[in-house]
Amino acid sequence: MQAVGTHRSRIWGARALFLSPVLLLFFFFFLYPFVFTIATSFTSWRGIGLMKFNGVANYQKLLGDPTFRKALGNNVIWALSQGFIQVPLACLVAMILVRKPKGWRMLRTVYYLPNVISTVALAMVWVAIYNVEGPLNAILSSLFGMEKRNWLGNPDTALFAVIFQTVIYIGYFMIILLASAMNIPRSLYEAAQIDGASTFQQERHITLPMLRGSLITTMTLAMAYGMRHFESTFLMTGGGPAYATTTMGIDLYLRMDALRYSEASTAGVFLIVMGTLVITLLRKIFGSSDPMSEMAQ
Amino acid sequence: MMKKTKLLAVLLMLCLMTGLGAQGQVDSGVQKEVELRWASIWVGNDSKAPAVEALVNEYNAKNAGKIKVVIEPQPDYNAYEQKVRTSLAAGQAPADIFTIKFNPTTATFYQSNLLMDFSKVMSNSWKQTFDAGSLEQSTVDGMLKSLPMETAILPIWYNMDAFAQAGVKALPTTMNEMWAAFDKLKAAGITPASQMTGDTNAWTSMIWFSHFAVSLGGTNVWDKPFTDPAFVEAAKLTKRMITEYSTSDAVGLGAGGSGGHFLAGRTAVFSNGPWYAGRADLAATPFFNSIKIAGLPAAGSTKDFMISRLQANICAASTKDKAKEAAILDFMQYLTSPASIARIAETSGAMFAIKTDYRPVKALQKQFYDVASAAKTTAFDLEAALGAEVTLEFAQQLGALALGRISAEEFCALVDRKIER
Repeated sequence: MQAVGTHRSRIWGARALFLSPVLLLFFFFFLYPFVFTIATSFTSWRGIGLMKFNGVANYQKLLGDPTFRKALGNNVIWALSQGFIQVPLACLVAMILVRKPKGWRMLRTVYYLPNVISTVALAMVWVAIYNVEGPLNAILSSLFGMEKRNWLGNPDTALFAVIFQTVIYIGYFMIILLASAMNIPRSLYEAAQIDGASTFQQERHITLPMLRGSLITTMTLAMAYGMRHFESTFLMTGGGPAYATTTMGIDLYLRMDALRYSEASTAGVFLIVMGTLVITLLRKIFGSSDPMSEMAQ
Repeated sequence: MMKKTKLLAVLLMLCLMTGLGAQGQVDSGVQKEVELRWASIWVGNDSKAPAVEALVNEYNAKNAGKIKVVIEPQPDYNAYEQKVRTSLAAGQAPADIFTIKFNPTTATFYQSNLLMDFSKVMSNSWKQTFDAGSLEQSTVDGMLKSLPMETAILPIWYNMDAFAQAGVKALPTTMNEMWAAFDKLKAAGITPASQMTGDTNAWTSMIWFSHFAVSLGGTNVWDKPFTDPAFVEAAKLTKRMITEYSTSDAVGLGAGGSGGHFLAGRTAVFSNGPWYAGRADLAATPFFNSIKIAGLPAAGSTKDFMISRLQANICAASTKDKAKEAAILDFMQYLTSPASIARIAETSGAMFAIKTDYRPVKALQKQFYDVASAAKTTAFDLEAALGAEVTLEFAQQLGALALGRISAEEFCALVDRKIER
């Protein structure tokens, strides 16, 4: 009996030992900042000096601030664009590449390549492309006689210009979907071909249902990225002109820049809540069942 | 086995005791060297870097074994500013010595006990080496937690070769002359002015706006509400400058692009501080020797002023260690001495809040000194006067103003709501 007890305590001891590094990291780099962010969002604190409890004043201020509301709206546009444009595009390319057309390996690399290039470098390239004297205007004016536009300097076009340069980089989601598509048993397609199904019908009735689980995962990821979007917009427009491209991430950063730490924390809480809300909604709408695992059963 | 273990234990004890003894000897006999970490932005390509490095090396050589200053290079200014902010918020000084861009936002740092208050430790003779106005501007509620070091005037730069090409031989002295000169430049195919609304401060255009606002509303204009007619009129003039006389990419353009247009000769007029004069790419331009530095023609009744700012104030971490405090003060006195400042000014062309006999010999840098001394009075620019948050709103809404989305009155009202009173 005593030997069993010693053995159990040894097992628990080993479990605690192995779990402790990750638990410590989780505590210091997630739990503590998370609780700190929530706590400071109810205070008036400029990063220096004492924190003063001010209830929900920061929340009221942010919700009443047209700049923050604009940022929130832009994040929703970002999330929808990434979830419903970038992922379907990635899915389309994955569906083509899984049929292994000529040069598919090279195409797979080409599509994935932008994901290994620094966001800063890509943003700078796109700033040059969108410049009034840049190649985009040169092409559009020579082909269609269009007037030269300041794509990033016009509030009507700036947001879509920045979104466009992000959603076309489909490599990351394409790789996930391609890996999933490659695991679909070939026998299903062979059976469909014998039954006379066209390529479109095969994709519609075999590939898409079989990719459902991966599609939900990639859409969740894409929309979560959209909700916390920061880098390329900050680098290309700084959130301007007239806050036309601002996002919650940029708003948070600029509040920190102005030493409004407690307001930045409040923006952070909004970011967490909105992100969770989007993911929950997505799961509610599309469910989370995975036909591959269902089939395995 | 037992014998071996005992022997090992004895050897370990001996090592420990020898170590302690040696430590005790150091403490009691030899003075410990004080190491000071300086998070310096004057590194890399910065024009002040060579002189600063030489000064530090000489100081270290002179104080060998007693004080050692170690430069921690901070080549990325934005990242450096973040470091200062986050370190102070986390209850830690970013280094023993560091600089800040002094304005109403960074004046918040004075609430921190982590910064040394020089008002308590500065001798009168040391104080007198500083420009009194700059010292006063750096004092908040009686505390002097940063010493004014680099100052700047923010004049307008004129490429006189471009003006000559357009048939304009002299600098415009009135606003009407300026518009006429700009029209001639346009007719000659030269875009008159570099303007921008990008970055967090719309730097170039912010300088122009500051010139207009001070001329229209006086040197105390920044104390007035932003809805004051002086600001509304300044906004209208800045809008005109952007829409009629600047490059087509001005809305959304950053400081790099704005400066790039001037360097490439695409624009004839630009605005920036003296640090830009030391750039190698500027010296390489064919119009370098034709550049004239001056103010803008008076848009209002205030004339003969110059826009200025405290560009870099130097801070030190407060410490209970008396030896370290003495070392910090010794180095700070050395660094801010007229002799050291003259050496930094000589190589960089930058201007300082410390009084020296130094007068530049290089033509462009000399013009800055001449313009500064010719000005009857100075006034802060918008960012220096009202802080980062107001300037960000200014930059964001300037784009909307230039695009005709909002009127000058609406523009001023939007900026005004960001001013803390």
